[in-house]
Amino acid sequence: MSDYILQMKNISKTFPGVKALDNVQLEVKKGEVHALIGENGAGKSTLIKILAGIHQPDPGAEFYFEGKDAEIKKPIDATLKGVSIIYQDLSLFPNLSVAENIYIGRDSGKKAWKKVNWKNIKRISEKALKELEVDVDINTKVEQLSIAQQQLIEIARAMAFESKLIVMDEPTSSLSSSEVEKLYRVVDKLSAQGISIIFISHKLKELFRLSDRFTVLRDGKYVGSYDVDTIDEAKLVNLMVGREVTYEKNQSQVKTGEVIFEVRDFSKSGNFKDISFQLREGEVLGITGLVGAGRTELAQSIFGINKKDQGSLEIHGEPVDIRSSEDAVKKGVAYVPEARQTQGLVLDQSIINNISLPVIDKLNNKFKFIDRKIEVEMAQQYIKSLDVRPSLPELPASKLSGGNQQKVVIGKWLSAQPKILIIDEPTNGIDIGAKTEIHKLLRRLANEGIGVIMISSELPEVLAVSDRILVMRNGKISGEMDVNQATQEKIMNYALGGNGKQHESVVIEKEKVSQEV
Amino acid sequence: MKSLFKQKEFSILAIVLLISSILTFVSPVFLTVGNLLDLIEGNVVIGILAIGMTLIIITSDIDVSVAAVTTAVAVSISYLFGFLPDSWISVLLLFLFAPVIGLVMGLFNGLLVSKIEIPAIVVTLGTLNIIAGLVLYITNGNYVNSTSFPQSFLSFSNIEILGIPILIYLLAIVAVGTWFILKHTLIGRSVLAIGGNTQSSVRVGINYQRVKLFVFAYMGFLAGIAAIAQTAYTKAVDPNGMIGLELTVIAAVVLGGANIHGGRGSIHGTLLGVLLLAIMQNGMILARIDTYWQNVVTGAIIVIAVSYDQISYKRSQDKLANIEVEA
Amino acid sequence: MKLSKESILGLIALGTFLFMALLAPGFLSSNNINSMMFQIPEFGLLAIAMMVVIVTGGIDLSITYIAALAGVGAALMLTNGFGIFPAIIMAILFALACGAFNGFIVSKIGVSPILVTLGTMVLFEGVILAITKGSSISGFPDAYSLIGNGYYLGLVPFSIVIFAIFAIITGLLLSKTSWGRRVYMYGSNEVATLYSGVKNSKVLMKVYLYAALLAAISAIIMTSRYNSVKVDLGSSYLLQSVAAAVLGGTNIHGGYGKVIGTIYAVFVFQFIRNGLNLLGFHSSLVDVVIGSILILVLTMNFFSDKFKKKQEQKNASQAA
Repeated sequence: MSDYILQMKNISKTFPGVKALDNVQLEVKKGEVHALIGENGAGKSTLIKILAGIHQPDPGAEFYFEGKDAEIKKPIDATLKGVSIIYQDLSLFPNLSVAENIYIGRDSGKKAWKKVNWKNIKRISEKALKELEVDVDINTKVEQLSIAQQQLIEIARAMAFESKLIVMDEPTSSLSSSEVEKLYRVVDKLSAQGISIIFISHKLKELFRLSDRFTVLRDGKYVGSYDVDTIDEAKLVNLMVGREVTYEKNQSQVKTGEVIFEVRDFSKSGNFKDISFQLREGEVLGITGLVGAGRTELAQSIFGINKKDQGSLEIHGEPVDIRSSEDAVKKGVAYVPEARQTQGLVLDQSIINNISLPVIDKLNNKFKFIDRKIEVEMAQQYIKSLDVRPSLPELPASKLSGGNQQKVVIGKWLSAQPKILIIDEPTNGIDIGAKTEIHKLLRRLANEGIGVIMISSELPEVLAVSDRILVMRNGKISGEMDVNQATQEKIMNYALGGNGKQHESVVIEKEKVSQEV
Repeated sequence: MKSLFKQKEFSILAIVLLISSILTFVSPVFLTVGNLLDLIEGNVVIGILAIGMTLIIITSDIDVSVAAVTTAVAVSISYLFGFLPDSWISVLLLFLFAPVIGLVMGLFNGLLVSKIEIPAIVVTLGTLNIIAGLVLYITNGNYVNSTSFPQSFLSFSNIEILGIPILIYLLAIVAVGTWFILKHTLIGRSVLAIGGNTQSSVRVGINYQRVKLFVFAYMGFLAGIAAIAQTAYTKAVDPNGMIGLELTVIAAVVLGGANIHGGRGSIHGTLLGVLLLAIMQNGMILARIDTYWQNVVTGAIIVIAVSYDQISYKRSQDKLANIEVEA
Repeated sequence: MKLSKESILGLIALGTFLFMALLAPGFLSSNNINSMMFQIPEFGLLAIAMMVVIVTGGIDLSITYIAALAGVGAALMLTNGFGIFPAIIMAILFALACGAFNGFIVSKIGVSPILVTLGTMVLFEGVILAITKGSSISGFPDAYSLIGNGYYLGLVPFSIVIFAIFAIITGLLLSKTSWGRRVYMYGSNEVATLYSGVKNSKVLMKVYLYAALLAAISAIIMTSRYNSVKVDLGSSYLLQSVAAAVLGGTNIHGGYGKVIGTIYAVFVFQFIRNGLNLLGFHSSLVDVVIGSILILVLTMNFFSDKFKKKQEQKNASQAA
């Protein structure tokens, strides 16, 4: 009998234009919690999708389950081998009941006309929920549950499967601290029962708390596997990044210019409450806090997409009324959303068409036709000044890398000559080099007189770019400080509120960001 | 109990009851057993087709070829009459042949949608053209009337059990059977699952293409049964008789609460939708509303129903995205 | 050299023309060419209208009933002693009212276009029936029938000139104006346009109004040509116009579609219909051929895309 539940060897995966994985291996022992780590784009999710049977590896790949040769061609093959995967974006069915969501998939591959055994579904789902200590009515439809509850349902599904190997992809990213604790206990319990777990997370503290071994990937390549007692955090970060990277904290003096933008008493029930703040000329205002604190909702309300209940805005001392994104553009407010590919860009369309989108009305010639020459010139100007590569204006935006896509989104807004630029998680999913470039760009724009409001969860980024920092918690502003008085610990205190767990979480967040940069 | 009132089916039922009670006042004929049975029997074909369409709409697709497929099967039946002996066996054989012919056409749609990945609206538009064209070509548009029907079939179509016409039983069997499939079989749950979230269904190992193939094949199968019902009810085969019926069928399903966004819809809802359309038609006749206004009312009701549904859908989505804000 | 989708379709149209010219007796006769020229405009206008809606990712199932209702509007004016000009205005007003209704429910309430237009199709049909009591209205002044039957400079049918003008206008609107640009952008990603300050509802409203306008023009040509109007005016063009738009390269999910492609597809359909007629095929077989072409073309697209992807994949693995 093999000690290993899973061995994957010689795994390569080529997508058109990219080699996502290059001869990677992953070996997981029975009953261990195995941390799979690497930066965004290191190949973790591709590897997991190959394990799940969603992607097929290039020829030459080898799989062994419990020492035996195996093939995974479709998702069902993985399921039958006892592999459960909990994706970060979950795999639930909003229109089905909790019970059925927990049970679903167990019958996959069986005859289509097989009768569903509702009693069995009820028994299995109730048992799984009980084990997980979750108190939810199994007849509730999943669409009526909160995201945290939904995640627990997904974990219950994996448990109900009696899987031998459970993959958890950032399972704690949207759980509250008490729910996170509960999850840790579940993981401990599962591994005590001999179930293996592959745990993917950006929170190093969490990984050291849970894991027995680490496998590190970098740029689609296998770096190595390490037992937990042979390695420390610093070394791990080094292995992942391949070099030391830190940001320098913004050293600027407190800005005392005139107030160019003011938000007063913004409220929306279920989103945020009593938000007021000011933005001064030349200033970058950082808004941070935990995911789900209401930051994005606030930004979208200012931009007119998320209808506010009450509140008023002033730009350069003039009251403005923004009821739609069209109003926002007219009044000089721009918003770069976090979901670059779905909200920020029209991916199938050219760079030019994306850049000119907000101002296309203003490019008309005397026949009311778009003046193509002016349009191309304008686009090329931003492609050049923002250094978009490749600098092919007719290229569809989908062909660009994340960093260059973000530059196009910024270019799109610069073309509208905004007074206020709100940017949401500006460097999410962007590689390191491009990150610092974006940071510099935001500082430059602020110096050129555009009011920049940056929403970010990455504390080093917040500290590196902002002049002043607002912290949000549960829909309210819980703290405000100038950058020269700010530290990560202080910010996290405000973000978490007075709660005993704060210190651990602070460190967790710090590690998260340091390894992501 | 509270959840019962919240269900969409409940509000449709309420509307059906409301219109029924108004009609009862307007015309004493409305609430008679005879009228109600006539009304239901007259809508058996739409009902059977709507049940099949419900499954397709749950998977957020659409099939505009149903009326053409039904007509094609009905025409095939009229040819079969020429070969089959005049006996009860033939009627039984008809129940074997007709659904199979429909099934084949449904499979063709299903293959193009699931394997070749052509959008269902385009596929079924194409097959609608092909099938309807072939039917017209072969029949030359000629009507076949009951004189050429075997006596056994005619007596089959006149059967009444406990005073209820046989076709109503047929609808009931289709409804209960499909309800059972949807509620209690793996493939039925898969239909709801891929309608709810396609990506999730792939991840949990549901064979998405097979389910798509199934819903279109099943639609064809039911179109075959509907063709028997149509032939029995009209005692004739009219190649032009069902042009445009697919839109009534889709309208009934949508009125019954199924949503084109996928994942939502039920057999009882669809039956209520069919009933609602039927009662309105019947009521307008009984209320002596100029027949020319009937489409106006039907159209307006469809528009209002889909608008109302969209508005309440948006509201429910808004409610979901809440953050617990501190007081 | 790489040909665009539209150019390939243009070649196919040319090929169909030559094929029919060789095969079908009398295809090239001036009589036949003439009759085709009179048939193309009404269908072409409806197909272009449908194409514009499909570019936004929608569909307008009510388009032929909008046309019929517009025709009724014109007919009512004409039979009540009004002149041609007021009749045309009335046709356009009727159509715009329908378009505004569709546009309102699609853009403001957000119902999916297929459902809305399914409902309004029944609704508009009902309105026509209520007005006409199911019978046809006929007997228009001679001057009116010139629109659909007359010649410009004694050579080209007026209706072809009108069609050409509207085809060019549509092409210019879509490719040269900010509205057109937004139509394509909306069709590709309506969320991104919303997040770029585009008022989606305005873009959409104009799309449904414009489609209705084209339907009205088509209706004017049809009523003039037939000298009568009935509830089913042009209804056989409904599915054909969708087929023409899709065959013309329009992406049924939105974001892509060109006037010229749609026109080529209309030509292909017209040549086939006419040629098969001359060859003595039953008219219903034309539908069979059109349906088959639609499915065949899309099936071939599927396999060629798959082949291309495989090629790319292969190249990628070799390069790596």
